[in-house]
Parts: sequence; structure tokens; C-alpha cells
Amino acid sequence: MVFLVMQPVIRVTDLWKYYSDDEQGEPALRGTNLEVAAGDIVALFGKSGSGKTTLLNLLAGLDRPTRGRIEIEGQDLEALGERGRTRFRRNRLGFVFQFFNLLPTLTAFENVFLSLELAGRHPDHAAARTALASVGLTGKEDRYPHELSGGEQQRVAIARALVKKPSITLADEPTGNLDTHTGTHILDLLVDQCRQTQTTLIMVSHAMITCQYAKRILQMEDGVVMEDRSCEASGP
Amino acid sequence: MKIVTKAFLRYLLKRRSLSILQLLGIACGVAAVIGMGLSAQSALSSFSKAVEFLRGISTHLIERPAGPIDEGVLAKLVQDNSVDFFAPVIDRRVRLADSEAIRVLGIDPFLDRNIRPEISRAYFAERHQDTKEDPFSFFTDERSVLIDSNLAAQLKLQPGSRLETSQGAFNVTGTFPNPSGEPLIIMDILNAQKIFDLKGSVDRIDLIVNDEAVFRSRWEHGFRIESKRQRQESLTALLYAFKLNLQALSLLALFVGTFLIYNTAMFAVVSRRRDAGVLRSLGAQRYEIVAAFLAEIFLFGILGGALGAVFGHILSRFLTEIVGSTISTLYFFLKPSPQPWSLLTLAAGIAFGCIASLLGAVSPLIELILIEPVKAIRGRVAYRGGTRKAGKIALIGIAILCAAAVFLAFSFYHVYVGYAGTFIFLLGVSLFTGFTVMSLAPALRWLFSRVGGIQGKLAVANIRKNMGRTAVAIAAFMVALSMSIGLGSMIESFRHSLIWWMNGQLKGELYVSTKGDTEVPEDFYQELKGMPGIGGVDTYRNVQITYRGTPVYITAINASILQRFTQFGWVSGGNENWEPVKQGSVIVSESFSRRFNVKKGDTVTVGGIEGAVQFPVTAIFYDYTTEHGLIMMDRSTYIRHFKDRTINSLGVFVDPKYPDREKLIAEVKKRARGRNLPVATKGELHNTILSVFDNTFAVTRSMRVLAIIVAFFGIAGALMTLFVERRREFGIYRALGFSVRQIAGMTLFEGIGMGLVSFLMSTGVGTALALILIKVINLRSFNWTIFYHFTFDPYLIAAITAIAASVGASIYPIWKVYRTYPQIQIREE
Repeated sequence: MVFLVMQPVIRVTDLWKYYSDDEQGEPALRGTNLEVAAGDIVALFGKSGSGKTTLLNLLAGLDRPTRGRIEIEGQDLEALGERGRTRFRRNRLGFVFQFFNLLPTLTAFENVFLSLELAGRHPDHAAARTALASVGLTGKEDRYPHELSGGEQQRVAIARALVKKPSITLADEPTGNLDTHTGTHILDLLVDQCRQTQTTLIMVSHAMITCQYAKRILQMEDGVVMEDRSCEASGP
Repeated sequence: MKIVTKAFLRYLLKRRSLSILQLLGIACGVAAVIGMGLSAQSALSSFSKAVEFLRGISTHLIERPAGPIDEGVLAKLVQDNSVDFFAPVIDRRVRLADSEAIRVLGIDPFLDRNIRPEISRAYFAERHQDTKEDPFSFFTDERSVLIDSNLAAQLKLQPGSRLETSQGAFNVTGTFPNPSGEPLIIMDILNAQKIFDLKGSVDRIDLIVNDEAVFRSRWEHGFRIESKRQRQESLTALLYAFKLNLQALSLLALFVGTFLIYNTAMFAVVSRRRDAGVLRSLGAQRYEIVAAFLAEIFLFGILGGALGAVFGHILSRFLTEIVGSTISTLYFFLKPSPQPWSLLTLAAGIAFGCIASLLGAVSPLIELILIEPVKAIRGRVAYRGGTRKAGKIALIGIAILCAAAVFLAFSFYHVYVGYAGTFIFLLGVSLFTGFTVMSLAPALRWLFSRVGGIQGKLAVANIRKNMGRTAVAIAAFMVALSMSIGLGSMIESFRHSLIWWMNGQLKGELYVSTKGDTEVPEDFYQELKGMPGIGGVDTYRNVQITYRGTPVYITAINASILQRFTQFGWVSGGNENWEPVKQGSVIVSESFSRRFNVKKGDTVTVGGIEGAVQFPVTAIFYDYTTEHGLIMMDRSTYIRHFKDRTINSLGVFVDPKYPDREKLIAEVKKRARGRNLPVATKGELHNTILSVFDNTFAVTRSMRVLAIIVAFFGIAGALMTLFVERRREFGIYRALGFSVRQIAGMTLFEGIGMGLVSFLMSTGVGTALALILIKVINLRSFNWTIFYHFTFDPYLIAAITAIAASVGASIYPIWKVYRTYPQIQIREE
């Protein structure tokens, strides 16, 4: 099944992923197809092991498909090569993880600034501070991750992902490690930021509340992406 | 500094205890190399200084192939226009009351001032002192001597004091500065001739030659001419094997140190895996991560190397003394002064630290380069497919062992090839560590679960599942313990071979004057021979000669006496080998045979007093007196060709049928002492030799200890690594109902488990290492056979060390457990 959209920023065609080298056993993705338009806010649901994180990793160029094609902004991700994919991640992609994945030896500010430094932009301390301020962490710039709460750590992660103004942000269960209240707050923040910057956002989630933020809901089942309209009515 | 680099480097501060342990590990490895290198350098430079001082500005020396030279030669030298200056020398030793042998130089102050201006200056300065009653006492008083200022200070002597020696009392008329470090007494040559009974003879003549070719053409027949460079070379050659051994020992310590660095680097990779994955997902290039990692490794290399240089410098002060004493015992007197601290030492330490760090980091670096971000982000995972992976690594180990076997087989080419083979062997067996852990795990689990319950069982599981970290530490510790067992077994085997050799060769009841540089009057030999009850007296004369450009020794003995009373260790044949020796043939030591590839039936050509003499070789015997090679001949043959009747010592054999042995022995002792000659019973001589032997291995023992210390840091570092990595896991254990005590117990069992596996492996590897050292390295370095002899001691020492070090290494992590985990901590960092 192919989901056609106008001017897709992401196009996935017949994507397969086996984790074993000999393509034995169950594939994590089995010939899935997907198109996502620029500026879309997409929620991707699915049971554990359905292939959501695998798809996200492949879209980020962190992992490589066994078969199939991924085009980002019209460019074949595989054809970009390792260096091209790295360049893509540092300039065009933001990633938010479930377990935050902040570097424990860097302060909140440095974690955000790192993103700018990697993007090769002129070191702009103000931009990093603004990004932290936009997620409500003014005054906590010099704190190390272990000195922040879970919600605050995820806010730093969002600031880190968005400070470089990426065209696409991928979020792997961004609220999975947070309580409901904090999770809602984080989703507000993430979606607001993406809307303001016209960033395409794909969120993998288990939480139904995510439906309220998404323009488009996708369901992943046995390694295949399907359109899901079950929670359309609950949109904001 | 880039933030990526900053992120990596801050770990070092964050995990200070671990960083300090790792830094100390590198520092100790580097210290071993620097300490050993500096002490070897001290020895060599002091040795050069000593040669320079004693030989002065002479260009050559001339002497008889063996024994003193007739002073009539001096008149001929005056007429030789190829000689600018010459100075006759008597070079002997006297023993002080404490048995210390001191060099005595008999010189002619007027002739000598052109050769040794420093010494002559001292003499003339002393003569011009106004306070002296007799300014010519140096000549007029035949007991008058000058002594070097260090010796004067040591013995609290001053001008006017008396110095008691084996040659009677000397009158100290003055002192002189002596930069060589060797205690020295100077007397007028005429007085020396009287005291040492050398009327009309001198030991050698030092010369300044203006045309070497002409001089050699005139004097080469019946004399031995040696240039200063040749002298330096031949003395350096004496030290070659010893120096090589020192280098090998320090390299072994660095080898263990490199393991630790690998451990450090591996830990850096393991603990940064997740960060590296995150950085890659944020768009960091591989080279940026590698650069950050290298910055950390080099920082360790620089700091550890600098610290190692300081430790090494301190260590060298201790080792220099041991090295000097070993060289003095085995080769020639040397009192090296420690090298002063210099920036070069620091630079060398840093260079060693960085090179070893880079070598140790190669494999972890490759792992980091190949890291897949997705897997890295997942964080620490259990070691899956361990047995298969360990099996694969063991297969690589087998391939490396095959390479080691090839190197060892080709060690005949050069001993360095043998050393390379030994290191490759150690590397190869290290790769069996994982496989051994996997194989021993069931037995260990059974044992530890019975001894330590659940925490014992979990400890074994932890060692197994954290193989990436534990295996390297176990391997490093195993190598250190193997070194200890290998060196220990080699030394014990050597000791055993030496005892076997002494029991066969040194069977005299008494030995008169056992020092090679002292002399026994020939009439005393005749006197002893004539005593009723004496079965035989063996005369022993030992001289150093040059054979094929390298120093070897000629020993003159009484073949018929030795045939009757001793049982030499023959490579082939028995005491019938003495028959041809009585007729003028020679026997050569195994070291001579191997060094010059001389076989039974060959001939050796040696320069005698009347030109080159060819001696047929009738047999080869085992010998441990010198690694440089020894040609043994009958005294009559020796006198015939070298015209030297000097006797260095006597071996006295009592007739087995003589009824009053004890009385006879007491009488011989009395007569020897009456002539101021030292005398030792067979037992005393054997003990002296064994004590010299034990002293010569002092350096080896120091390096064994150092290797253990280095490995200790390895085990402690690995335990700390495990501890740091499993903070969260420990929290889970606490949540499941583990007490802090149980967690501490688990850490202790992990330490003991690692120590136990290291020890079990080291029993096999250490034995193999001992065999390599005996059959390859020693044979190639010293050209003598050591017979392997199993003794339990090295294994017992290794076992105690293993347990003590692993328990010791566990203490700090256990303390951290108690300090960190009074409450449950499961939270992510």
C-alpha cells in the first residue's frame, strides 16, 4: 500500500530490513511504503516489535535497509553514502530519543551547542541559549544531565534537535520515559516548535494522546505501515 | 576545544578513581622501561668514564697473550719511533680486611704523566705539600700509596693512615680524585714489583702510538696489542648479553603495560559507545569521534608517560646500584652513578607512553570506527555468542602461536628473533583468555556458588558476560604471573644446573684463593703437593684473551688431577676426554662451542708467546663460569705456549684413603692463612657461588615485582570499570533485595575469579615461558644449556600473588560499593 502525498519530503519504497546477514528469520520491515509531505506532523503507532524504531533509524540513515529505497527531499539516502548521510543528519535532521541520550559529560547548554557546532555553523552561543529558553530552561544552561529531571532532559533533547532548524525531526517515543503530565507538556513543546519552523515531524509513540497533536496517524503492523483513522476524531 | 572532544575528556574527571588507576598502570609500565634504560645507560657511561680514566690518553696497550711482560721490552720501546710515549703498569688487586678486592696500579709517575695526566697531577700535587716530612716517600717507602678520595672517605683514611690489606699494611701518603667510581690504590711501580713479586716484569704497557700499522708490524709476534677502541669494544661485548637481558626484561614490563593501556582504551571505547552512537546520530563524522578518542588516549599517554618518566627516574637510582653490583660480580668492577634528571627522560617517557597507548588503542579504535550508531545507542548489552566468539579468537591465537613457533625456530639467526617470538607467544596465548574463561565458567560457578552463594554465582556470570573488559585484564594479569612463573622456573632450573655443575666440577676439599685476580705463589703449590695425605692439587689459571676479535678465556688446569677427582659435565663422552688434554689438546666450554661453532675434532687458533698456536679440540663440556667461552688446557701446555706460571687458585684434593682428613684440612688452612691467602671449603665455595648467582638475578626479581604491580593496576582497573559500568545494575540488585554486603561480596568474588583464571592460565603459560627462556633465549644469549627442573616455589608465589593482588584490587571497588550504595540507585546517568 502506498500513501501518496503532494511534494513528499520523505518517500519510502518497498523497504525491507532483516537483522540477520543471511536474511533468515522474521524481517523487521517487510516491503513497506510511505510518503510524508513537508511540514507534516505524523504520529506512528504500533505494538512493540512492529518495526517503528527500525523505520525511524532507517529514515535517519542510522541503519541501512536490506532492500528498498528511501528518498529524503528527493535524494536517495543510500546513494548519499556514509559521509552524505552524516551530513544529512547534522544539517537537515533532528532526532529526539526516548531515553534523551544527552551526553552526560556536557552541560545542557553544551549539549545544545554541540548540535550547532556539528552543523558547522558559526558558533552562535545566543542561538543555543534561545533554543534552551524556548523550551523553558532559562537558568539551567550550566546544569549537567544528571542534575536535571527527566522532563527537563527531554526538553534539552528537543532544543538540541531543533536548534539547527532541521527540515525533518524524528522522535522515538519522546514521552515514553515521562509521566503523563510532563509527556503532554513535552508534546506541546515539540509540536509547537516544529509548527513554528515548518519542520516535518514523525513521532513514534504508544501514547494515544499523541493523536491529538498529529496531522496524520500511521499504524505499523508486522513491518508494514498503514494509514490509521482510528483516532482522527481526537485531533486538536 | 571542540565540544565532542570535551565530552570525551570530561569522563576522565568524572571517573577520577578509574582515571588515576589507569594512569598509574601506564606510568608503571613506562617506569619499568625508563628505569631499566637509565640504569643501563648509567652503567655504560660510567664504564666509559672508568675506561677513560684508567687508560688515560693512551692509544694502545701492549701485553703478553697471558701473564706479565718482561720489562726489558721498555728499552726497545724507547727506540721505536712509532711510539710517542709509553708507561709501564702493574695492574693487580689486594683485599681489604672485609675481603673487598681493590685495584692497585703500580705506575712510574714520570712516564705516566704523558698517559694519565690526572693521576700524575695528583701525585705531583701531593709531593709538593710543604707539610710532608719526606716529599719522596712515594718512592723511598715501599709501602707508600696514594688512595682515591672516595675510598679514603669510605675507610676514613687520611695521609699518614695505615691501610691493612692482604699484601700487608700500606702507608697512605695522599689522596687523589677518581671520577671512575672504582676504588683505586696507586703506588710506585718498583714498589709494586716488590710487593707482588714481579721483579723485572710489568703487567702491560700503555702507549701513545703515532703509526699503528708500523707498530703492529713490529710487535705483533708474541704480544697482544689492543687499541683503546678495541678495549672499549671488547668490554662492551662482555656486557652485550647482560644488556640484552635488561632490555628484554623492561620490554616485558612494557608489554604488560601495553595490555593495561589496551584495557584503558577498551574501557574508553566501551564507556563512550553510547555517546559515540548519539554523536553519530547527531551528525558527527567518524573522524571527529576518532579524534576525540585519540585526544583522550594521547592525554593518557602524555600524563602517564610523564609520570612514568618520574617514577622511572626514581626506579633507576635503585636499579643502577643493582646493575652495577651485578656487573661488578660477573664482569668487571663498575660503580655507576645514577643519570641526572633531564628533559630527555621526560620526553622519552612521554614518547613511550604515547607509542604504547597508540599500540594499545589500535584494536579499540577499529571497534570505534566500525561502531554502528543504532547498536551503540542501545547501550551495554550482554556478551552474546560468547563461546563461539571466544573460540574464533582462540583460533586466531593458534595462528599467532604458529607464527611464534616460526620466530622461535629461527632464533638461531639472532636472539632478537627469539625475543620477538616470545612476545608473539605471549600475545597468542592471551587470545585464549576468553575461551579459557568460557571453559572454566561452569567449574567456577559450581565452586563459587558453594563458597559464596548467590553472589559467588553472579560474580562468575558477570566475569563471563563482561568478557570485553574482564578478558583483557585477566590476560594482562596472566602475562604478569606467567612472567613470574617463567622467570622463577628459569632461575630455579639455572640454580639446579649450577649445583649439578658445581657438584661435578668443584669437588676439591679446599680451595685456596678463589678470586680470579689474586695469585698463589708457585712454591706454596709445591709445598701443598708434598704434604702427606694430599691426593692432588689442581692449579687454576684464568686469563682473558681475544679470539676472533672477541674476548674469551683460557683456563689452565692439571688435567690428570681433574680426571682423577672430578666428574665434568661432558656434552659427550666421559673422563677419558682428559687423556688427549694431557697430551696438549684442549677442551672447550659449551658456550665457546656454540658461539664460534667449534665442534669436537676442530682446532682453535690462539695467539701464544711465540705466535699463533693451533690446539685440537678433544671434547666439549658444560660450563657456567662465563658465557663468552672458555678454552681449557693442561698447565704444562699453557706454560709451554704462554710462558706464564701464574696461579690464581688451587683446588686441594685429599687422598680418599688418608685417615686423618680433618687434621690435614686444618693444616692446609693454617698454612694458606699463614701466607695471607684466603681459603674456602668446598661447601663455602659452593655457597659463595650460589650467593653470587642469586645476586645476579636481583634485577630480574625487581622486574618481576614491577610486572606484578603493573598487572595489579590492570585488575583493579578492570574491577573499577565493571563497577562504573554497572552502577545501575547494582541498583537493581539492591531493589531485588541484595544487601550492600552481598554486592561487595560479589565484587570480591569477581576479583578472585579473575585472579584464579589468570593463575590457572599462568601455570601452563609460565611453564611454557620458562621452557622458551631456557631452551631459546638463554641458549641464544649465553650459549649455555640450562636443564629444566620443576620446582613448586614459583607456582606457589604466583598463586599467593594472584590471590593477594585480586583481593587487593577489589578493596577500592568494594569501598566504593559501600560508599555509593547505601540507598537504591537505579537512575540512569
